[in-house]
Amino acid sequence: MSEGDVPATLPVLQVDQLEVAYGARTAVAGISFDIRPGEIFGLLGPNGAGKTSTLSAIEGLLRPRSGFLLVDGLDVSEHPLEAKARLGVQLQTSSFQAELGIEQIVRLFAGLYGARLDRDQLRTALEQIGLGGELGRRFKQLSGGQQQRLALFIASVHEPRLLLLDEPTAGLDPQSRRQLWNRIEALRGEGRSILLTTHSMEEAQAVCDRVAIIDHGALVALATPAGLIEEYKFDPRVVQAAHGEVTLEDVFIGLTGSEIRD
Amino acid sequence: MKSVTDTGTVRPPLNLALRALLRADATVLMRSKISATLSILLPVVILVATTFGKSQHRLGGTTLTIGLALVIGLLTSSMLGFTLAIAGDRDTGVLQRLHAAPVPTWAIMGSRMGVQVAANLVGSIIVVVVGVILHGLALDAGQVLLVLGAALLGGVTFLSIGQAVVGLVKSSAAVLAVSRVIFIVLILLGLVGGTGLLGDTLKSIAEWTPVGALMTLFADILNRAGWSAQDGWALLACVAWTVVCAGIGIRWFRWESR
Ligand SMILES: Nc1ncnc2c1ncn2[C@@H]1O[C@H](COP(=O)(O)OP(=O)(O)O)[C@@H](O)[C@H]1O
Ligand SMILES: [Mg+2]
Repeated sequence: MSEGDVPATLPVLQVDQLEVAYGARTAVAGISFDIRPGEIFGLLGPNGAGKTSTLSAIEGLLRPRSGFLLVDGLDVSEHPLEAKARLGVQLQTSSFQAELGIEQIVRLFAGLYGARLDRDQLRTALEQIGLGGELGRRFKQLSGGQQQRLALFIASVHEPRLLLLDEPTAGLDPQSRRQLWNRIEALRGEGRSILLTTHSMEEAQAVCDRVAIIDHGALVALATPAGLIEEYKFDPRVVQAAHGEVTLEDVFIGLTGSEIRD
Repeated sequence: MKSVTDTGTVRPPLNLALRALLRADATVLMRSKISATLSILLPVVILVATTFGKSQHRLGGTTLTIGLALVIGLLTSSMLGFTLAIAGDRDTGVLQRLHAAPVPTWAIMGSRMGVQVAANLVGSIIVVVVGVILHGLALDAGQVLLVLGAALLGGVTFLSIGQAVVGLVKSSAAVLAVSRVIFIVLILLGLVGGTGLLGDTLKSIAEWTPVGALMTLFADILNRAGWSAQDGWALLACVAWTVVCAGIGIRWFRWESR
């Protein structure tokens, strides 16, 4: 299939009745959702809800117990490498070989994804994300914001159809967070779709076209941020959680409960 | 940023990926100063120490000393260095990120092993050269080639033992502990057991251990002993250890330590 053959309406990602288990423990219990071309989709859920497990299954890092995963129409379990080639991945904890400088890390991943980058292109690109002066530095020596920018750049180096970003703004200061939001929106502008996970309702509201709330491995709600508020603003659980006007966070707390998860 | 894998084509070219992996792994290995230094320094210390006094005779002569130095170098880099690097990268999530890339898993591991094997060769050449100079041993070209061949095989055997360790043990702290113990047991069995110091039973067991078998090969090559049935068995032992340990290491390997 070439790009021309793909109907514009075909989802870039189809998740159908996905179940993920670690031994006897079920982490994802039958989740279904689609991601449309050019969409920024947020996966929200408390700690342990199954967000990372869902992403890991899509990324081909673990084999689902059951269900179907199609990336760009390709079955992930039948065509793992082809599916991986279409994905840009930023794991929850980004880590690269401590002995490599960032220029070498980018070269490694460009090579792994078949993206040809000459020296000038690489320098320009790193300059654009504010890492022009850090070419020889090691990943661990970068600030949190720089690390996330680099990880996002590496995820998008091969111009993937879909980016999977696991808590990309966790632990960032407001400036870095905004900058990353802009970068994510710019990537969408270049025609990419984005699936991100977050704990920040502000973030979900600011950048996501649609959000899914999951809890205990199950899908609790799926709509646009405004649509979710509209749908649940009179739900008693949500009303009880609200302090004044109902926010997305009130909906989230109302639907997933207020007890603390670890 | 030009992608050769536009959404139409199937997967990125393997040669590009392999080249990127090999380059990165070689850089990492060259920058891992402690492990590189140890795997060269330790054998050289043995070679230097044995030039003093009569210790050579106690250890069984020059050829045995050089054989031992080679074995220690290979064990240090292939068993300790390799396993610790893998276990560390698994703990920190480096391996997981590589695993998410569109390359076959054998390429990720194969590249690391290939680079390690090349480093073993360089290390062994250094040890042989230093050994020849310090101990005045005359080797012909054929012997040198055979020694390097045996070193290659031994390195691969130790790598597969290391792979079995990281396959069966998850956390890097535990991997460090386990591979240290195996290191000591292998040296003791192969070396001390082989001298007959610990009795005949242990001596015959020792000949079948990876270190014992490799020492037999080195000794016979360096002594120009000619090919014997014992060398055949030693060769077979190395290959068998390699196959079994690699099988275990591949079958139970996990990409993350959680
Ligand atoms: N490798 C693993 N082994 C066993 N259990 C796991 C593993 N990874 C995650 N889990 C469990 O699966 C559930 C979902 O985890 P995860 O997908 O990481 O959630 P989230 O990313 O939403 O915080 C949790 O109960 C977690 O403890
Ligand atoms: Mg998570």
